[in-house]
Amino acid sequence: MAITTSAPAERPGDPPRPPGSVAATVNKPRRGVLEHVRLVLAYRELLLGMVRKELKVKYKNSALGFLWSMLNPAMYLVVFYVVFQIVLKNGIPYFPIFLLSGLIAWNLWSVTLGAATGSITGNSSLVNKVYFPREILPLSAVGANLVHFFLQGIVLVLGMVVFRFDVDLGYLWLAVPALLVLLVLTSAVAIFLACVNVYARDTQHLLELALLAWFWMTPIVYPWGLVARSLEGEGLSSGLALLNPMTSIVLAFQRAFYGITEAFGEGRPGVILPDEGSLWFLRNLGIVGAISLVLLVLAVRLFDRLEANFAEEL
Amino acid sequence: MQPSTGFIKTVGRTASLLELGAGFHPELTGRENVFMNGQILGLKNRDIERRFDEIVEFAELEQFIDQQVKHYSSGMYVRLGFAVATNVDPDVLLIDEVLAVGDEAFQRKCLNRIRQFQREGRTMMFVSHSPELVRQICDRAVVLDHGHMIDIGPPGEAIRTFGRA
Repeated sequence: MAITTSAPAERPGDPPRPPGSVAATVNKPRRGVLEHVRLVLAYRELLLGMVRKELKVKYKNSALGFLWSMLNPAMYLVVFYVVFQIVLKNGIPYFPIFLLSGLIAWNLWSVTLGAATGSITGNSSLVNKVYFPREILPLSAVGANLVHFFLQGIVLVLGMVVFRFDVDLGYLWLAVPALLVLLVLTSAVAIFLACVNVYARDTQHLLELALLAWFWMTPIVYPWGLVARSLEGEGLSSGLALLNPMTSIVLAFQRAFYGITEAFGEGRPGVILPDEGSLWFLRNLGIVGAISLVLLVLAVRLFDRLEANFAEEL
Repeated sequence: MQPSTGFIKTVGRTASLLELGAGFHPELTGRENVFMNGQILGLKNRDIERRFDEIVEFAELEQFIDQQVKHYSSGMYVRLGFAVATNVDPDVLLIDEVLAVGDEAFQRKCLNRIRQFQREGRTMMFVSHSPELVRQICDRAVVLDHGHMIDIGPPGEAIRTFGRA
């Protein structure tokens, strides 16, 4: 397939052309990963616009608007507090803080993936008609849920105030690399799921089940110590639990915001978080981050291969 | 989309007049949709801001621009869509069977804009079942039958082929 382009002659009085506007119309079947990155950056205003649209549309006709983003984790907090702390007496001190530290990370991951999976199939009228980098669609799901993440973070802070919780400021910075790694991993899987779902619509249903199982395989509601103890009881290394990349990320968030590593005594769970220095957490994040970057490159390459026929499949 | 055979060569910015409302989100206002649509067509926010008044004026929606477009009539939809697509300064404009909607005065306005584009040397691809419009607008016509090109040439000839097919 022969493809040629040249920049159009500027008419007098023309506004400067946005970067990407020329290449954008090229019917080029394959693009490299860097070319994809360049195009997404060239269309960053569209990405921001899409994020804003998603947030606006979600709460357009609701009286409480953005408060709903905060009420959802607040409700989780109350329900899980009642069930696990009062009914089941799991003995984790400041359980709501513990729970929310991991849950806001998990929500960013799971809600984004849910939204991203249907993002291309749900916008078929656009995808069929206009050119724009299609990755913008799953990435706008990441962006919108990043905003929700910060709103839920406010709930966490409010919870800390209400429960008079003392934050270990020395580990707080861990939340920054943890969030970065989480964003890369989420973007990679979001891009992957969005394009696969065009060809196999069962993906969205399968995802729901997978996320349900995955949630309970990640130490969010129960502490890491419990998993480590069972693994070690079987003569296995507790490091096996880190094969779940979400575990490394959630642990870093829990260390940053919650930070209570153990609670011994009557009705107490014992070890809660790994009693390790920040380097241990950072090392795990580094491993997951490196894998996530590789996944992101692979996802973009797959996306590039599959997007050529989106219009025919939609 | 990939062509099944051959290749597509385009120069410059391509804009398309989207299907009725395809590019619009019903819950957003006309103003918000103009920005969305402009961004999708590859414009920067500051470019859209600069052209905004012209777009709204062309669409004759000054009073309704801050209403949600779900309250628009189909004519208003098309007017806004056409106004955005022709004001993003496209080099290539795809118009797919949408001009049939809208009142006569606006249709005339669109035709004038199309003529203006032709004078400025822009490229337009106009898809229609209306031989009359094709005769009025185009200087070259292609007749497609089930995806196969059966004629290409001056509109008069193509329309005769179309009549026989």
